[in-house]
Amino acid sequence: MLQFKLVLLGDSSVGKSSIVHRFVKDTFDELRESTIGAAFLSQSITIHPNDGGEVKDVIIKFEIWDTAGQERYKSLAPMYYRNANAALVVYDITQEDSLQKARNWVDELKNKVGDDDLVIYLLGNKVDLCQESASTEPSPESNKGEDDEQKVRVISTEEAKQYAQEQGLLFREVSAKTGEGVKEIFQDIGEKLYDSKKDEILSKQNRQINGSNNGQVDIHLQRPSTNDPTSCCS
Amino acid sequence: MTEDKNGETLKEFDPLNRLEPSTNGNSNTDVVSMKDDADTQAAEETNANIFAQDTGDEEPFYDFQLFVKQLQSPEADPLVKYTKSFLRNFLAQRLLWTVSEEIKLINNFKSFIYDKFTLYEPFKSLDSSKTRNAQEGIEKLIMGKLYFRCFSPSLYESLQVSLDDEHMKDLNYDDTLLEKIEHYRFIKPVMLDIPETMPHAKLNKFVHLASTELSKINRFKSPRDKMVCVLNASKVIFGLLKHTKLEQNGADTFIPILIYCILKGQVRYLVSNVNYIERFRSSDFIRGEEEYYLSSLQAAINFIMNLTESSLTIENHKCFEEEYQNNSKQVAKEREEEEKKRKLEVPDELQSNGTLLKPLDEVTNIVISKFSELFSPIGEPTQEETLEPEQSKKEEDVTFLIKKIEENERKDTLETLQNMFPDMDPSLIEDVCIAKKSRIGPCVDALLSLSE
Repeated sequence: MLQFKLVLLGDSSVGKSSIVHRFVKDTFDELRESTIGAAFLSQSITIHPNDGGEVKDVIIKFEIWDTAGQERYKSLAPMYYRNANAALVVYDITQEDSLQKARNWVDELKNKVGDDDLVIYLLGNKVDLCQESASTEPSPESNKGEDDEQKVRVISTEEAKQYAQEQGLLFREVSAKTGEGVKEIFQDIGEKLYDSKKDEILSKQNRQINGSNNGQVDIHLQRPSTNDPTSCCS
Repeated sequence: MTEDKNGETLKEFDPLNRLEPSTNGNSNTDVVSMKDDADTQAAEETNANIFAQDTGDEEPFYDFQLFVKQLQSPEADPLVKYTKSFLRNFLAQRLLWTVSEEIKLINNFKSFIYDKFTLYEPFKSLDSSKTRNAQEGIEKLIMGKLYFRCFSPSLYESLQVSLDDEHMKDLNYDDTLLEKIEHYRFIKPVMLDIPETMPHAKLNKFVHLASTELSKINRFKSPRDKMVCVLNASKVIFGLLKHTKLEQNGADTFIPILIYCILKGQVRYLVSNVNYIERFRSSDFIRGEEEYYLSSLQAAINFIMNLTESSLTIENHKCFEEEYQNNSKQVAKEREEEEKKRKLEVPDELQSNGTLLKPLDEVTNIVISKFSELFSPIGEPTQEETLEPEQSKKEEDVTFLIKKIEENERKDTLETLQNMFPDMDPSLIEDVCIAKKSRIGPCVDALLSLSE
């Protein structure tokens, strides 16, 4: 089993927590251990990488760290994204400024984490709100209101996609409400991380198998903890 | 158990000597003599069965009493000796180690002794969950003995001298945090972005329960037990989110409520406690959920340390200013009164016969301290002769004490849960308590799923 840490970033109203709740519930499987906590969730998936013609099953466990999206809690984020293998940066396709906020997170991750292996996934949430509204005229009032109401897309797929390409991010539009695209996010990340860590994983497995006759292999691929004993309140 | 054998064991195990010579200058090379290993004659079988703990489905297997029993088997004798000599050296060589020295010594010893588990029965043939239990056991055992030298507030209290920079920093941060908490304890939930839809009475009740759980952190010595307090407090907050159907808000609501709990609960030494857990809990054990909630607590503490008016949502600044000033005056008054009778609270197992979080942990602490001959770092050979009669008498006391504590704990848990789930049939709650052995975390989980 491979284990990866994934951090969720995005403004407070974009529905980032709902995406992972949806994921953990939809992939619920009695045989697999999963956690749904206040702000920490974990779930495993199976990917089927093709290594030199041989397709195998690889179980990947995600530990998902949620962050508080309000502006005032922005400064706490580094405590959450340290040692992360992947980041989901979420915006709301019906909220004008939420993509800009997502961009700020991407910049911060690139500057502060400085790890080329960190997988960043840009996610446009709430496609369910405007799937049939393509023909209706955009009106400013319809931007406000409850979730059930039809809203108008203000961030085009092309705009976000182009930005993601420029920055080398994975990109997808999803709906936490209907579940559209949600499972795929985690498949994509799992495959991408497996791919980038393949050599490391295989050599670790070989070492472990040779080193002990214990068949069970658990590998934590979190980067070495930089937890510094004085990190609290410094 | 001869001198020779001791000499050999000690040569093999010398984590203390691996330490680079320190510039601290406080070093005392006059290592206490090792003669007293004769007292390894194991304390008699403690009545382990009464503590046998349900393995639970949600938590990794944990049974400290089982570990103690394993350690008492004659084959494990070398492990007892290693542990004793480590403790003795740690305590005798110096009064004050720096934080980084402590971490290095303790980690070195842990990896040394974990390695030795593979050589001696009964540890040699344990499966992986029982091995992990034994590793937890060692951690709890040694940190219980070294607590007064490693937990900054206790260290300061026992030495009464100025400490090294890192320990001192813990104390200063504790003070800063307390000061901030006192000055902002009046703030309203909405100022932290706690959703206004959350009913105040419910919020206050759960916040009170969560901070009560968190405050228990000062009752325990082992990093794991302290960690459990953090997890339980987080679980209570999760319970609140579920009750108010806000669990999909995730951290957006969880973090503000956690901060609010800290502001309302005024738990002492939070920074020292968090740092202590981070330093002395094996990093392999701080994983997943534990790591998340510990980081969140750190994040919440950081937020409060840097708290100013501008970090809050305030509608009426004039009004806020007024409240702030009034509260500050009140704080100053309280401080004055407190100054007169200020005393450090340290965990005292024998006193805490009131509410207990995890009675079994507390109970085993008592057992260890009552039968501490086995693990006493500095032996007291004079007591040796009277060991047996003393012991059986102690054993009776302990059994009685444990029963009493367990009973109190059961009542307390029941009361807490009834507070948390007022709409639920009390007898149902009682059944869950019995099924889950009155452990608050699993009880809350079970009741939450029942209430859905």
